[in-house]
Amino acid sequence: MSSVRFEYASRIYAAGHRPAVDRLSLEIPDGELCVLVGPSGSGKSTALRMLAGLEPADGGKIFIGDRDVTDLAPKRRDIAMVFQSYALYPHMTVAQNLGFALRVKRMPREEVKRRVEEAAELLELTPYLKRRPRALSGGQRQRVAMGRAIVREPQVFCMDEPLSNLDAKLRVSTRTQIASLQRRLGVTMVYVTHDQVEAMTMGDRVAVLHEGVLQQVDRPLDLYDRPCNVFVAGFMGSPAMNLLPGKRVTDGVEVLGTVVPVSRALGAPGANGAVTAGVRPEGLQLAGHSEPGTIPVTVEFVEELGSDGFVYGTVDTGERITVRSPGRSHPSVGSQVGVRFEPAQLHVFDGESGERL
Amino acid sequence: MSGGLITLDDLPGPVTEPRKIRRPFVGSALFFAMIVIGIVMLYPFFFMIDTSLRSESSFLNGGGHSLASWRALDSTLPWRQQLVNSTIVCLLSIGIILTCSTMAGFAFAKLRYPGASAVFVAIIAAILIPVQSIVIPAYVDIAQWHLLTSYTGAVLMYSAIGTPFATFLMTVYYRSLPDEVLEAGVIDGLSYPTIFLRIALPMSVPALATIFVLQFIQIWDDLLIGLLFLQNPSERTITVGLGALAAGRTTDIPVLMAGSLVSALPAIVVFLIFQRFLINGLTAGIGR
Repeated sequence: MSSVRFEYASRIYAAGHRPAVDRLSLEIPDGELCVLVGPSGSGKSTALRMLAGLEPADGGKIFIGDRDVTDLAPKRRDIAMVFQSYALYPHMTVAQNLGFALRVKRMPREEVKRRVEEAAELLELTPYLKRRPRALSGGQRQRVAMGRAIVREPQVFCMDEPLSNLDAKLRVSTRTQIASLQRRLGVTMVYVTHDQVEAMTMGDRVAVLHEGVLQQVDRPLDLYDRPCNVFVAGFMGSPAMNLLPGKRVTDGVEVLGTVVPVSRALGAPGANGAVTAGVRPEGLQLAGHSEPGTIPVTVEFVEELGSDGFVYGTVDTGERITVRSPGRSHPSVGSQVGVRFEPAQLHVFDGESGERL
Repeated sequence: MSGGLITLDDLPGPVTEPRKIRRPFVGSALFFAMIVIGIVMLYPFFFMIDTSLRSESSFLNGGGHSLASWRALDSTLPWRQQLVNSTIVCLLSIGIILTCSTMAGFAFAKLRYPGASAVFVAIIAAILIPVQSIVIPAYVDIAQWHLLTSYTGAVLMYSAIGTPFATFLMTVYYRSLPDEVLEAGVIDGLSYPTIFLRIALPMSVPALATIFVLQFIQIWDDLLIGLLFLQNPSERTITVGLGALAAGRTTDIPVLMAGSLVSALPAIVVFLIFQRFLINGLTAGIGR
């Protein structure tokens, strides 16, 4: 078991183009489950493949423990990888798939057998050991892919969107299984996903990437509560945070015609005081249509989730806004409601740079 | 049913079978067409079997069936030796073709190196060159290497002719293999040669079977190359032997038919054994 450290690691696919991974510096302590999350093209998979040795680093260094693995072949890095498509060997049985890497290493037959049986037991694959992958369900294949990584007892697990081929229900149960398995084995895991719910629920820490650049690394709730810029604010959380144009005024931020008081010091205002005000759907309160101090919103769509609901509406000035509506009595589509800000839940970002103020 | 409520009895029963779309005319037309095609395909075989069971005089003047032609074939044509020769030439050539085409196909599909696409285009171009146009210079070359009196010359020719298409087929097939499976091999500690041998090759059995069948039929049935490059009578293949039989002053048609049947049988057997792979292999890489 080991820590993982990226030091200014870069990957450039074509000269003159934006790097796929741009000077990534990230330290993952021993035994941590770190999730790399971002939209497609953000460089998260490339970063993982660089760690695995499937992509060379064009700059910077990568360490596993104290070892500089930047130029080492994948097999010398002592890592295991689970691929999005599982990449099982179709011509081998489950048992052969599980033990293949060990046989390549010329491990004694007895030891291979013991480890394969242990992993199969752990993942409830024992009845399927003699089957070929094509005779397994999606969830079972996924577990074989996991088992193939586990038997190697590697220092680091690399997971490349391992749940995206599963159906929604299985994905939820498997994601808790993976997280608890990781905790039980205590192995460092780097987990790539584009699904921010997966990132929030699984990771000890979450690293958000965008266009090859690391935006923020933090514990999931810190990321949610204190996004460092507009991108992270908009990416983490579902439904997404409302991001509205605003203006710095003496006692707060003016947004959608109302002044929301901000108690903390926001630093020096920009050139014209333009800011982006961010507020999550639960940071807004529904109120009566003409209550003083509220913003009038026309309801366009209501999403009912059972325990609560989300109201999607439009403000007079054209901005779209999402409000969480607790309970089951939601305003009807087409009606006019008032919306009130909760000042403590307001995020303020610089209007130009997008950085948090 | 009362008050507009739907009761359980009103609901249709559970659906247990998929609804069949009946198009009787299309079905019988197809069946009729198949029968016609079947007759057209099978008639030559019927003709061969029927003719081979007549003597030359009963073939020319009408009369009953006999085994005279089969006896004549046995005494005039060393068909056992020639079947062995055909088998040796076929297997050696296909062995070379499979070795070259799988390795080349894997390299074209999965490895990146300078000039790869130019070489690939050159190989595709080689498929388009008719054998007849290169057979004379090739004959001169092989004669100069003194390879006309052994299997070697013919085997080299068959391999050279068969490899481009086989390489093309293998390249297409290997392109359809997901990269992740090969990367899993890299992670598991394999080198590229061992990935090829232990992962890619076992996964390409359908394509190998396709190439085997196509090449077997082509080489087994070939006359031109065998006639030119197998100068030693004891090394003649069965098709060359039959050709020699027909080249005499008079041709005994029933004996020739008997010989043709002997010659056709192995190719048919190979085809029947491997046909289920054939369709898979030929369509590989087209869909998902």
